Amino acid sequence: MVSLWRTVRSIQRTGLKEWWRQMQYIGDAKSGRLVGTDQLGNRYYENYNGEEEVPGRHRWVDYAQHDYNGSQVPPGWHAWITHMRQLPPHEDPIVQKYTPAWQSPYVENLTGTRGAYRPYNTTKPKVYGWEPKTADRA
Amino acid sequence: MQSLALARSRVPLGLSLRIAATSSNLVGARRLIHASRRVCAQEEPELKSQITERMRAKKFEVTGPARIFDESGRELDPYKGGPSALNKAVHLFFFTEIIRGMWIVLENFFRPPYTIMYPFEKGPLSPRFRGEHALRRYPSGEERCIACKLCEAICPAQAITIEAESRLDGSRRTTRYDIDMTKCIYCGFCQEACPVDAIVETQHHEYSTETREELLYNKEKLLANGDRAEAEIAANLHADHLYR
Repeated sequence: MVSLWRTVRSIQRTGLKEWWRQMQYIGDAKSGRLVGTDQLGNRYYENYNGEEEVPGRHRWVDYAQHDYNGSQVPPGWHAWITHMRQLPPHEDPIVQKYTPAWQSPYVENLTGTRGAYRPYNTTKPKVYGWEPKTADRA
Repeated sequence: MQSLALARSRVPLGLSLRIAATSSNLVGARRLIHASRRVCAQEEPELKSQITERMRAKKFEVTGPARIFDESGRELDPYKGGPSALNKAVHLFFFTEIIRGMWIVLENFFRPPYTIMYPFEKGPLSPRFRGEHALRRYPSGEERCIACKLCEAICPAQAITIEAESRLDGSRRTTRYDIDMTKCIYCGFCQEACPVDAIVETQHHEYSTETREELLYNKEKLLANGDRAEAEIAANLHADHLYR
């Protein structure tokens, strides 16, 4: 339960459906400006009105997946949501400048699934087992 | 044999001298009374009399709180204007403190919460935050690491293992760059030691795993980390470039 006026104001702005979705996930009625959407479909919001959001809670993400987890935020948006960058990645000139052509798409932390990373050796083996070689008998 | 007997006879003599020296000192005398019963057994009557004399001289008596007087000698009442005894008794018997405390709880129940709802809202991080490691590439796509092994040498936890070979084009590159993330203490010495900014600690910290072996990173995993986060890494290095 949050302040009643905050809930009413948020429902007025976002609608009942969005409010219900927020209560299922964030557990709080929030409303703000939609800043952008990342390649995974997560939507990012911000509300810099100090009367409506306490500092530290003014940037948030609405995860696209039901099975959400913190690692589903890709690096550029992660820098934005943790306040390392002022601007979101699609508006930040420095991030735009340093994005290389070979940048690979982000994947979330896949631990516990079949896609999880398994360590392997990247060098040639130094010790070989003995393989007996016999010369053909004449 | 004679010398031993002499030494033995000297011990009580020394003790008695010390008692004589301390008996004039009240604190020293009290310490002796409590610490060693055998010594005080001889001296007790004398010490007791001294203590009582001193107490009599100092006039120990139980009095109330110190009375305060102003310059003209009138007595000041420190409780003037404060709550009366009846007032205090009412608050005590009707548990008003508990009710006031519960009112604060009720007020905060209707206020927006201060809690940062973690996976949706994240706390602020520094561009210098030291999280998961990554190996970077040059903008051309060439990997930066030249296998100088400075990071391996400086690593205080000895978490880095490097093996190097020359590539077909003759350049020196690593064939193995393993970081044991379970050993790593995230001190950031590796990225400070690196002459080509190859090994960096990214701001990604949500890489917890279900098994231990998933934290034994090899070169390809580290390069993949760098390939995904290159823009963020470069932007964070740029944010800090004036201080490097």
